Amino acid sequence: MLVLDRAAYRYPGSSRWALPPTSLEVAPGRVVGVRGPNESGKTTLCLVASGLAPVAIGGELQGRVLIDGRPTLELRTDELAQCCGLLFDHPAAQLTGLHRTVEEEVAFGPCNLGLSPEAVVERTAEALRLLGLEDLAGRDPGHLSGGEAQLVALAGLLALRPPYLVLDEPVSRLDRDRSDRVATAVERLAAAGVGVLVTEHDEGFLARLCDAILDLGEGR
Amino acid sequence: MGVIREDGGVAAGPALRLAGAGGIAPVTRLALAVSGGGLGLAWGGWVAIAVAAGGAALALALGGARRLALAGLGLLPVVLSSLALNAFLPAGGGGVATALDALARLLAVTLPMTLLFAVTPAADLLADLEARGLDRRAVFVLGAALAAVPGTRERAAGVIEAQRARGLDTEGSWPRRVRGLLPLVGPLVIGSLIEVEERALALEVRAFAAPGRRTVLRRFPEGRWQRAARWALVGLLVGGVAARVALPLAGLPAPARVRPW
Repeated sequence: MLVLDRAAYRYPGSSRWALPPTSLEVAPGRVVGVRGPNESGKTTLCLVASGLAPVAIGGELQGRVLIDGRPTLELRTDELAQCCGLLFDHPAAQLTGLHRTVEEEVAFGPCNLGLSPEAVVERTAEALRLLGLEDLAGRDPGHLSGGEAQLVALAGLLALRPPYLVLDEPVSRLDRDRSDRVATAVERLAAAGVGVLVTEHDEGFLARLCDAILDLGEGR
Repeated sequence: MGVIREDGGVAAGPALRLAGAGGIAPVTRLALAVSGGGLGLAWGGWVAIAVAAGGAALALALGGARRLALAGLGLLPVVLSSLALNAFLPAGGGGVATALDALARLLAVTLPMTLLFAVTPAADLLADLEARGLDRRAVFVLGAALAAVPGTRERAAGVIEAQRARGLDTEGSWPRRVRGLLPLVGPLVIGSLIEVEERALALEVRAFAAPGRRTVLRRFPEGRWQRAARWALVGLLVGGVAARVALPLAGLPAPARVRPW
């Protein structure tokens, strides 16, 4: 279970709480949606839920964030990556820029774990297949459209096979067809037992996928 | 995806595109470029001219005339200022011979590296370096540095378009263009900083900091001669630079400069 227990967070050097005390639970196989206006703290919530805030970016966390009973504060960033994948809303910055092909880009995470080449290949192929990206496998990641890059970034996370996924506005830059692909992939992942927390403005997307929706209100 | 096994074979799966397989490995090309550039820089004169001429000939033979011409065009302001400074101004003091020597050294350093990246995708070079044991952080830093120029150019184009859409005049006379530069610098620098931060976070979520060795998916098969050639090039560079340093210390005459007459 991914649990936020009255979790509040403020960024380094800031006196203001970017995320007010928030509680939620994401059970394995469930999809929880988060909606709210701009500046309401959706992205901060994603950073906190994935553990990157404060483990990787510093700042102050009050309350608790637990992934399968383990406080995120006790995990290293590479352990967090295997527990909970985080997809940002800006596709270009999520690709490494170090690889010639999409399949190498997707394989980057599993390679970091030092898995056997066969395991890396299997995970990469599965992630590409899940999102219907086999036709992009040989393409240069630097020449993808924004929507394609977003899907490739998601495939890169799936290749790490985390039990929980946090998606920060995953379809805000995608056309209808690619949004459907992401929605279908999320449905399949949830059916396979992955817990998903997703923020999105698209009410239709949230209504299709989510078992519960948290409203972050009117912001500040 | 295919996997290059230790024995050079390819495991099952769709073929992984391996530029350079069976040819000169990217690291050998790097050794060639660095040793040529280093020797040319250290010795100047006819050594530098030989390196530059060799690089140019190779570029033409490989069909890289356009990139060569572009690189030459990029060097033109440096060449002209060097010639002006050394040939006509008392501060330079070296005359045309010194200017030509500086030009030859400049070409000897830049041509081999330009040629290297014209025929070798940066991703291949990084993959080869990593396969040979270079630390993943060093590979990323090197990769980020290589991607910085095209990345900044792309971002600058986006900023210019955005500012033009808001009425900024970036064309016309030179004073007007200079005035137009100021509103571009801020968004460009801040955008770069934000992207660096986002990219760092994106690496963290891909387990970049995981302990242990990364899995190597691509290896660039090479014959035994390439390893020997790399060591020979390193030896040549070290020996050449050492000899150049030792010459004046031993009281021997410095190598002859290029003379325009």
